[in-house]
Amino acid sequence: MWKQRSPGQSSFNDYNTFPLPQTQRVQPSYAHGPTFHTQQPLVTGTSVLGIKFDKGVMIAADNLASYGSLARFRDIQRLHPLGQHTLIGVAGDMSDYQWLQKELDALLREEDALALTDSHPSLSPKNIYQLLSNLFYARRSKMNPVWNAVLVGGWDKVKAESFLAYVDLLGTTYTAPTLATGFGAHLAQPLLREAYEAKAGIDGTGPLLTQEEAEKVLEDCMKVLFYRDARSINKFQIATITAEGSTISDSKSADTYWAFAEGLRGYGAQTQ
Amino acid sequence: MALYSNAPASYADHTSAPIEHRFNPYSDNGGSILAIAGKDFSVIAGDTRQSEGYNIQTRYARKVWQLTDKAVLATNGFAADGNNFVKRVKQRLEWYEHAHHKPMGLKSIARMIQTMLYAKRFFPYYVYNILGGIEEDGSGAVYSFDPVGSYEREACRAAGAAQSLIQPFLDNQIYFKNQTPETGSEPFIPGNLPLSTVLSLVVDSFTSATERHIEVGDGMEIYVVMNKGRTTDDLLDKKKLGPGMEVEELGALGEGGGERTFLVRAALKRD
Amino acid sequence: MTSIGTGYDLSVSTYSPDGRLFQVEYATKAVEAAGVAVGLRCKDGIILGVERLLHSKLLVKGANRRIASLDEHIGMAGAGLLADGKHVARRGREEAASFRENYNSPVTVQILSDRISAYLQAYTCYGSVRPFGLSTILGGVDKTGPKLFCIEPSGVYYGYRAVAVGKGKALAKTELEKIVNKEVEGQTSLTVREAVSEIARIIYLVHDDNKDKDFELEMTWVCEESGNKHAPVPADLLAEAEAKAKAALEEGMEED
Repeated sequence: MWKQRSPGQSSFNDYNTFPLPQTQRVQPSYAHGPTFHTQQPLVTGTSVLGIKFDKGVMIAADNLASYGSLARFRDIQRLHPLGQHTLIGVAGDMSDYQWLQKELDALLREEDALALTDSHPSLSPKNIYQLLSNLFYARRSKMNPVWNAVLVGGWDKVKAESFLAYVDLLGTTYTAPTLATGFGAHLAQPLLREAYEAKAGIDGTGPLLTQEEAEKVLEDCMKVLFYRDARSINKFQIATITAEGSTISDSKSADTYWAFAEGLRGYGAQTQ
Repeated sequence: MALYSNAPASYADHTSAPIEHRFNPYSDNGGSILAIAGKDFSVIAGDTRQSEGYNIQTRYARKVWQLTDKAVLATNGFAADGNNFVKRVKQRLEWYEHAHHKPMGLKSIARMIQTMLYAKRFFPYYVYNILGGIEEDGSGAVYSFDPVGSYEREACRAAGAAQSLIQPFLDNQIYFKNQTPETGSEPFIPGNLPLSTVLSLVVDSFTSATERHIEVGDGMEIYVVMNKGRTTDDLLDKKKLGPGMEVEELGALGEGGGERTFLVRAALKRD
Repeated sequence: MTSIGTGYDLSVSTYSPDGRLFQVEYATKAVEAAGVAVGLRCKDGIILGVERLLHSKLLVKGANRRIASLDEHIGMAGAGLLADGKHVARRGREEAASFRENYNSPVTVQILSDRISAYLQAYTCYGSVRPFGLSTILGGVDKTGPKLFCIEPSGVYYGYRAVAVGKGKALAKTELEKIVNKEVEGQTSLTVREAVSEIARIIYLVHDDNKDKDFELEMTWVCEESGNKHAPVPADLLAEAEAKAKAALEEGMEED
């Protein structure tokens, strides 16, 4: 009788009834060979843009996931809500992004479940951002990066103010009233800063853009990116996060003008 | 040479070697920091621009951190490493305080930072640290570190993108390099300049670096740590500060041993 | 307690000559000492209610809740040892999360009941452990509709139309039977909204003022109104139901 093992001590899981973390899987290391880490992104999303406005924050990203120069998936969403008042926009490797979605959703689901019993406050945008920063930095330090650049937008209920911050595969973090990843940092960020500072001033003390103005400047930026970023598509979504919560728009496109292309000389087939 | 090679020289052409792509865990986020020790004070400063290549990531990111009532740390290099290093230093200081019921002294913090940096000798924190504050004997002190933990106490140190612009200036102004005392007068002693002079040197260092280095600019944060009992008139007198500069006293972090820390903010050009 | 002194109740891995496991039976005694927990399956959702007995006036209001969420759509009410309830709830959450991880879909209440049941059963097989002093009511809405289960310390579980465990479960069951019978006879079938006041009434009825001091009524549901998520019954609705329950109780006393 005393030789019998308790459920937690058995060397194998006889009845599949032991606590999950202790479940032992038979995995001899030689069965796997060397472990590989992500060394380069494969299916990728391009720029994500973010801007603060008077009642919150907006984040924009297009609907394309590229496979190299191939426009592989043209209807994927790169904006993902995390709870009521936080939302992320993700550039970079889409499989890492999907993994991230799964992990964060599971975490938030557990948070929600626990909150019913102990009624602790939900994770603030800042909490989620700190978690992401720690995750990205820990993974880069293991030389196994999560190959993404992420904008976190949110509404801080306690401070009653908007939140916008950046974190990437190196664990680099920063915050600013306008943010852009990838090509957007070159093409869109100057336009976003110009629009923001036109009203708020360089010290940011003036009035912020209205929701309509912010949406307009984001749409302009997405158009500029579509004109010049070869890995972009003219189909994008804009997320808006305010005190009331977050919403993600339907996919839309910018009005583009190509007539000038007729007059261009020097590219492609020409008769004269 | 033919004796030693069993293949034609063309085979050794390095351009034919396979190009390896490998994840680079580091980046350079620009900016500059500097610290100057006085007789009974220490000044630790940094700009607030964070950049990568030609992109300004943000115009306000912190590089200078108040650690204790008498220690301030400036970090420069790879920002993610800098932030996480400071986080760990602060955690170690908290543990020390819980274990010993007193804050860690400056020279001990300096030694701890060396240990922490050297512990990652083969995957270093890509960060140049400058620690400033008040020593146990009440003197102003500056410790500077390289990324793997070599350190020394100095009268002044500049680091970061504009180190090569600022350090020679400090060598001249703080260490009196290439200056000779007038015949018959006292020899120069570094580390005894008045606070107002030191502040002017700091401001001039950063405004000049901003002019000549693209990675420096936007704003400047100057921490001034003063020994207990020292007058604050030379800092708080509005007339002595430049236009647009603002001073704020940072309250004691611990029980307060009498040392006082002030934060001076000033704008730098944004271009 | 004929088992006492026979030596067959010292270990859960020893049967008595007539084929009983006394330790498991003792565990059910721990359940019977707890405040009542009630679950009701309605046509449009499920509802869970517990009588949370307050052993001290010094307790924080609303603290030490006995109903837990195992997943978005599944709630669990425990009757018995509070700490055992917390442990089983944690295990339940892990099982629910693991099911989602493996199959990318929410676990059904039946499968989750089965997993928890297997876990509890393992604690009736080894001499080195004790069974859980806990009966677990599991309720939720999944792809198969509203479902309600009760898992006992032995690991046995059944699906229910309505269930009550803990102190005064007999009285609660007869009241629940009246509700269920009405529906079986095709008269009325309760909505969860209507059931809120019924559950409140039953718990107030079952509560023994003489033996037990104060209690707090704890009630959660999973229904369309809560977005098919497990959530507390809205405070105003609960307060209204409690007021009605108290009134009904006083009315009943006057009749006596």
